[in-house]
Amino acid sequence: MAIETLFSDIGAAALGKGLAAIGAGLAVGLAGIGTGVGEQGIGAAAVGATAEDRGMFGLALLFTVLPETVVIFGLVIALLIMFL
Amino acid sequence: MTEVSSGIAPYIYVSTRMRVRKAKLIPREEYIRMLNMGLPEFTRLIEEMEYKREIDELAASFSGVDLIENAMSWNLAKEYQRVIDLAPGEMKGFTRDYLHKWDIQNVLTILRGKHLGLSDGKIRAVLVPAGALDAQALDKMISESSVDRIVETLPIKRMAEIISEHLPQATETKSFGNIENELYKYYYATLIKAARSGMKGGEPFLKYVIFEIDVKNITNLFRLRAQANTEFSTMSVWIEGGSYKPDELERLESVENLDEVIDVLKKKVKAAALGDALEALREKKPIYAIEAALTSARLNQMDKVSKRNPFSISPMLVYLERKRYEVSNLRALARGKQAGLSAEILEKYLVM
Repeated sequence: MAIETLFSDIGAAALGKGLAAIGAGLAVGLAGIGTGVGEQGIGAAAVGATAEDRGMFGLALLFTVLPETVVIFGLVIALLIMFL
Repeated sequence: MTEVSSGIAPYIYVSTRMRVRKAKLIPREEYIRMLNMGLPEFTRLIEEMEYKREIDELAASFSGVDLIENAMSWNLAKEYQRVIDLAPGEMKGFTRDYLHKWDIQNVLTILRGKHLGLSDGKIRAVLVPAGALDAQALDKMISESSVDRIVETLPIKRMAEIISEHLPQATETKSFGNIENELYKYYYATLIKAARSGMKGGEPFLKYVIFEIDVKNITNLFRLRAQANTEFSTMSVWIEGGSYKPDELERLESVENLDEVIDVLKKKVKAAALGDALEALREKKPIYAIEAALTSARLNQMDKVSKRNPFSISPMLVYLERKRYEVSNLRALARGKQAGLSAEILEKYLVM
């Protein structure tokens, strides 16, 4: 009952905008968590390999940031939600 | 023991470090090149490798091949201690359990050395303090005057109990063989218990331990077959926990036909590496060649287990074993070259 009253007060357009903002947040947030999970293993291996051989630093860093692309996908979706 | 609660990351970190270290070990092609070198050239090469630091440290006390040999043992011991330091939480305990065999080897060396009346310096030179007993603990044991006192100062109680139990017989027969057998039985029982403790990678490692026991039992069988009048029976050298029962091995000991022995042994072998190694033994070979072939099979099987379980205890143990054989190969090459052995003979002693 209270929710229905709230919805009628703020209007359908504002509600839509709010839900879109939540969706955009979830898109970036969940993509970020996924990236973190992916980077956990790669990061541990990268640090291990670099500790043994400094020459591996560049390649290890490259592999570590690969899962970052997932966040970019999330960001693109968030921007599409917010501005289209 | 501290528990690691941050997920799989510590295993990945340590496993990667061990893989990188393993990749840096001497490859087969390099051994082949070393086989054809003269002793001075070989010595120079060793001095340029990672053993340089230990060679510099020990240069004042030793010279020539003795220096190389001691520097390598010292390097191996230090490397093992570094690996234990790197191991996270529960892996540390298991690594210590696995390296316990060095304690057995060191204590037996001290006992045998003392019994034979060797000088403290000579005994110290052949010890590798890679297990729980560090150089100080071993020094303390060496400085004791009698075998009984050495056993009393041994800080690992279970080992001391086993030695005390069999010491009278060993002194009487002037052979520490029985003590050695009993200590290895205790060692493998400890490993099986640790592998069954529910640790990550414990189950595949248990399979590997069983495999190692099988290899050890097969090696002992071939040793017994090679020696006609030996004081040991199959039962005294048989290690519990593997696929073979003592009565089976006892029967095989007296079977003349080598093909029949191989056929019976192969029936229980699941690992392809060991099956292939046994197949190659159909041709009659000296015992050292048989042991080298079985050791290679064991290392290959270990590699397989570690590839199937990349983030477990296995990659660490593979590195420890490979490093051990690198040192033992280089020592064999140094001593062999000093004795003037040909490349063909030396090659048979190497585990590549």
